[in-house]
Amino acid sequence: MTRGSRAAGRAGLASLQFGLVLFVLLPVFWMVSVSLKPATEPFAIPARLWPDHPTLANFLHAFRPEFRTYFINSVVVSLATVAISVSLGLLAAYSFTRTQFRLLSVLMALVLAAQMFPESAIIIPIYRIMRSADLLNTYASLIIAYVAVTLPVAIWMLRAFLMRLPPTLEEAAEIDGAGPLRTFLDIVLPLSRPGVVATAVFVLVVTWQEFLFALSFISSKSMRTLPVGINDFIGQYGISYGELMATSVLISLPVVAIFMVLQRYFVAGLTVGAVKG
Amino acid sequence: MKRGRWLVFLFVSPAVILVGVLMYYPMIGTVIDSLYATSFIDPTPKFVGLSIYREILTSIDFAEVVRNSCIWTAGVVLLQNVVGFAFALLLDQRLPGRALMRSLVLLPWVLPGVVAAILWRFMFDPQLGLINSFLIRLHLSGQGIPWLAQTSTALPAAIVAAVWKGFPFSTVVYLAGLQHVDAEQIEAAIIDGAGQLRRLFDVVLPAMRELIALNVILTTILTFNYFDMIWVLTRGGPENATNIFPTRIFELAFGEFRFGEGATYGVFSILVLTLLLALYAAIRRGAERKSAGA
Repeated sequence: MTRGSRAAGRAGLASLQFGLVLFVLLPVFWMVSVSLKPATEPFAIPARLWPDHPTLANFLHAFRPEFRTYFINSVVVSLATVAISVSLGLLAAYSFTRTQFRLLSVLMALVLAAQMFPESAIIIPIYRIMRSADLLNTYASLIIAYVAVTLPVAIWMLRAFLMRLPPTLEEAAEIDGAGPLRTFLDIVLPLSRPGVVATAVFVLVVTWQEFLFALSFISSKSMRTLPVGINDFIGQYGISYGELMATSVLISLPVVAIFMVLQRYFVAGLTVGAVKG
Repeated sequence: MKRGRWLVFLFVSPAVILVGVLMYYPMIGTVIDSLYATSFIDPTPKFVGLSIYREILTSIDFAEVVRNSCIWTAGVVLLQNVVGFAFALLLDQRLPGRALMRSLVLLPWVLPGVVAAILWRFMFDPQLGLINSFLIRLHLSGQGIPWLAQTSTALPAAIVAAVWKGFPFSTVVYLAGLQHVDAEQIEAAIIDGAGQLRRLFDVVLPAMRELIALNVILTTILTFNYFDMIWVLTRGGPENATNIFPTRIFELAFGEFRFGEGATYGVFSILVLTLLLALYAAIRRGAERKSAGA
């Protein structure tokens, strides 16, 4: 390869790089920029990338009473889902990894296969179940559905993690006379913390943004979660784009913050399963 | 029963019961529901056999939904994997700020789907949107293009938004895959004088063939059934131009209370899923046999 074509290649690579980075970051940057734009500063046509006098006024407006209700609902549903899904997932993943017999392998294959099931295609019977159990418009309907949907992936991630833990420690505990429950609580639980954190982050990210079930099961305004709530703000009289973007930032901040802090665990947890299966 | 097995069953039963009732039963329930007709005026289900299937298969709506779903899925999956792979290659290089980029690239994936959709609705806005602003500034368009409001551009616009939201997942998968490409083979290719592109096509891509195939099928399943983005962007409009299976099912079931029709669309989605899962399992088995033989 000649020097000229190599330089051209490098320039091409650099511009590709720039284009890709712009594609990822520009929309997010703009969301933040518009959220800081004062309502008095009219939308210039063509738009400005950054407001002349950034302000937090949109954020103060965004803290409307409905938003606070939706926020609390989202927190309750997400935390409950994470706690239940990860606990049940860990118990099941542990059993699936450490014990092997035919029926159990079949059950495991069935549970893991469900992570591919499309909720949008089977929403009607799920809705019917919630309706006949009289659970529509309750936290319980969402928590139960979210646990069912996230459990297969949670088990899959935790299992991939547990398979890499050496069984020698557990064997030692058993020789010392510890029962299976003791071994689980004293040995397995503390060792699996990184896997648990990774799984919890994943379940949180999925639950915090879940839209379809929340839209189907919840009709009462006071029980809505954030995704359905903000979707309802679109085009509503008196809610400006600035406020809509401020609300978007507020909804995104909790998960983005948690994710950024814990992503090291998360990426490792996700890719162990993805690459080695 | 052997000692300790009762504990195992106790441990797995909550997961098995929940997944059984809320994931497996609904797969069968959807098929059953598709045999019963309901409507807003008459919500009691009436058994109608296969007549809903006959009605749907000959309807224009169904043809449009199938066409849109094909374009949507093919477009999103192709672009998502290409962009995802390109980003993985980029982040695999020793570049300044790589660690920061690795976190930032995941931002669209972490951002809640509805937020991403609202953001892109705004990006595509004819007057206030960033995209049209650039076009107007560069004098490529006089007053901005109503991307989401005209039938010719709505679906491509939705595809761009979905690619933006979804590609980081592929990047993470491919980045992990790149770590497993045999370094010796790459060394050998370098000694043979292969340039970057040759190395990519002759060594890296063949080594990652199965991973790419599996990820393409996985993203196909996710994209085919992706509801949030299109619902928030266009609700399937204008004039059905972006209506895909998930949005059509929701509209029929919860907008018009025609559960039977909604479920029938669901049955077709399940059929597509079954085909894709069979393909997935076949590739997986092939890969395992190969690595066991090696």
